[in-house]
Amino acid sequence: MKRMVGLFLVLSVLVVIPALDLAFAQGDEPGEYLDRRVIIWNLFFRMMAVAFTVGAVVAGTMMWIVWRFRESNPKAKPTAYEGTDW
Amino acid sequence: MVLELQKPRPIWQIMFSTHHTDIGLLYLITSLAFLFLGGSLALAIRIELFFPNIEGTGQFIADSMTFNRIFTVHGTTLIFLFIIPFASAVGNYFVPIMVRYKDMAYPKLNAIAFWMIPPAAALVWLGFADFTWYAQPPYSIISSPGPAADMWIFGLKILGISSVLGAINFVVTILKCKHPDMSIGQVPLLAWSLLVTSVIIIVAIPTFAAALLMLLTDRLGLSGFFNPAMGGDPIAYSHLFWFTFHPEVYVLVLPAIGMMYEIIPRFSRKPIYSYNSGVFAFVLLALVSFSSWGHHMFATGMSFTEKTVFMVGTLAAVPASAMHVFNFIATMWNGRIKFSSPMMWAVGGIALFFAAGAGGVVNTAMPLDFATHDSYWVVGHFHLFVMGTIAFASIGFLYYMFPYVTGRMYNEAWGKAHFVLSFVGTILVFFTQHVLGLYGMPRRVFDYPPIPEWIVMNQIASVGAMIIGVSMVIFLANMIYSSGKGELANTDDPFGLGGKYYYPFEAKNPHH
Repeated sequence: MKRMVGLFLVLSVLVVIPALDLAFAQGDEPGEYLDRRVIIWNLFFRMMAVAFTVGAVVAGTMMWIVWRFRESNPKAKPTAYEGTDW
Repeated sequence: MVLELQKPRPIWQIMFSTHHTDIGLLYLITSLAFLFLGGSLALAIRIELFFPNIEGTGQFIADSMTFNRIFTVHGTTLIFLFIIPFASAVGNYFVPIMVRYKDMAYPKLNAIAFWMIPPAAALVWLGFADFTWYAQPPYSIISSPGPAADMWIFGLKILGISSVLGAINFVVTILKCKHPDMSIGQVPLLAWSLLVTSVIIIVAIPTFAAALLMLLTDRLGLSGFFNPAMGGDPIAYSHLFWFTFHPEVYVLVLPAIGMMYEIIPRFSRKPIYSYNSGVFAFVLLALVSFSSWGHHMFATGMSFTEKTVFMVGTLAAVPASAMHVFNFIATMWNGRIKFSSPMMWAVGGIALFFAAGAGGVVNTAMPLDFATHDSYWVVGHFHLFVMGTIAFASIGFLYYMFPYVTGRMYNEAWGKAHFVLSFVGTILVFFTQHVLGLYGMPRRVFDYPPIPEWIVMNQIASVGAMIIGVSMVIFLANMIYSSGKGELANTDDPFGLGGKYYYPFEAKNPHH
């Protein structure tokens, strides 16, 4: 449980710090929103670059797991739990 | 064991029963009926948007008012009459079994909670209100025609009471009726998800109940809470609505994740990787759900500080959601995965959950929210959650519980065809809608100018919707045919996974 809390804290910090940075791109004055459209779109593309990279890693991992650990894979082995009352 | 069609009983016996599996069956059939009804309305919307209203092409839906009525009832139906009752169906079937109790804590209350749904649904469907599922004031107060709007308000009021009664029952059943030998740390994650969901409902729904009353008295001219002409503030309604309905997002998604926690270990043939992190993430998401309602309202003139707080509050959901995804991936790792229909739906749901979450992070960053606000991006984002994650997990779980409910097996090939078509259709509709939003198309529009990019993307989305429609016809045929004529299931292990299926509950849970 402690490890999970630690992992959660690290993930939180990684997410929150860049987010605070992004927030200030908006500016204080409502009239500035349109003036800052270039910055906003730049942020959008940066975020999409991150999202696609992370997405590719997670989706790639899932696809590999699905392919590698399917029961019809010749390398598939019974798990340690099969036949037990887990 | 419930073998409803193998040993048919008079229908009134089921209708007036208070046993948890009978109530579960009623919830199940009701929710599926509304899935098809609400889905049909979605198809009507997509057919209307296939072409812009260029002269000579004609229209599928007569006028904008009818279009508004259709998408209002579409949203209301699929959220309140499909997703939530489906979670109640699963909870009714499995929670007493999981906590090893003979029934729900309050069986009669359970039946009352279910029987509040049909009149509420009748009010929503017979009225056919036009003010969106959000009941947008001041339009809903000064312009929306009655009695449709009033019927919708009363319908939602009844559904809210039903949800609260059901939630109280789940909380008491799980916390007070679980077997004395069973600690709270041994309660399965599906039951945990329903416990957390129920607490959210009990805390969040009263705020919307108050807002509905205020809306009704505003409509009657007795008050002016949200009516600017009487000094009221429509933004106040936004706060009350989203204080309930952002947590409601988690009310919808947490049971779906709980269902995945049931399917993925079974079909991977190994226990969940980290039970504790699953519980931790559920509780954390419940807390976070109350700290992020303002992100729906960034464009309403909130202060910079308020927006920053809500943005950070929203982003706090990311690590907790990621914990669930990592938990699923780690569980499948080193497993021996059988890709029967339930597992295909669950894995597809996880993939789309991640995609929907990534889109949500973009929305959450408030400078970017202004670029996507009220555009089709938002439509794509939340539909990827409700269809891609919640409906996928729910349908997967329906295949999983099918042998338990009917004693027969569904047709596996049809189940897989259903999944493949739905997966492709979902990606075509909702990924395209994200891009359509970036091209500037506003949401909730009856018509759009003939911009070539908009036309092409709307047509891709509409084709995707039709593919989903075809898959749902296969699904319906499979369910009806297999319920009566499917092969008899080996109810000890219907999917051939080895080990015990569901829970060794029968001897411990005799009918009362």
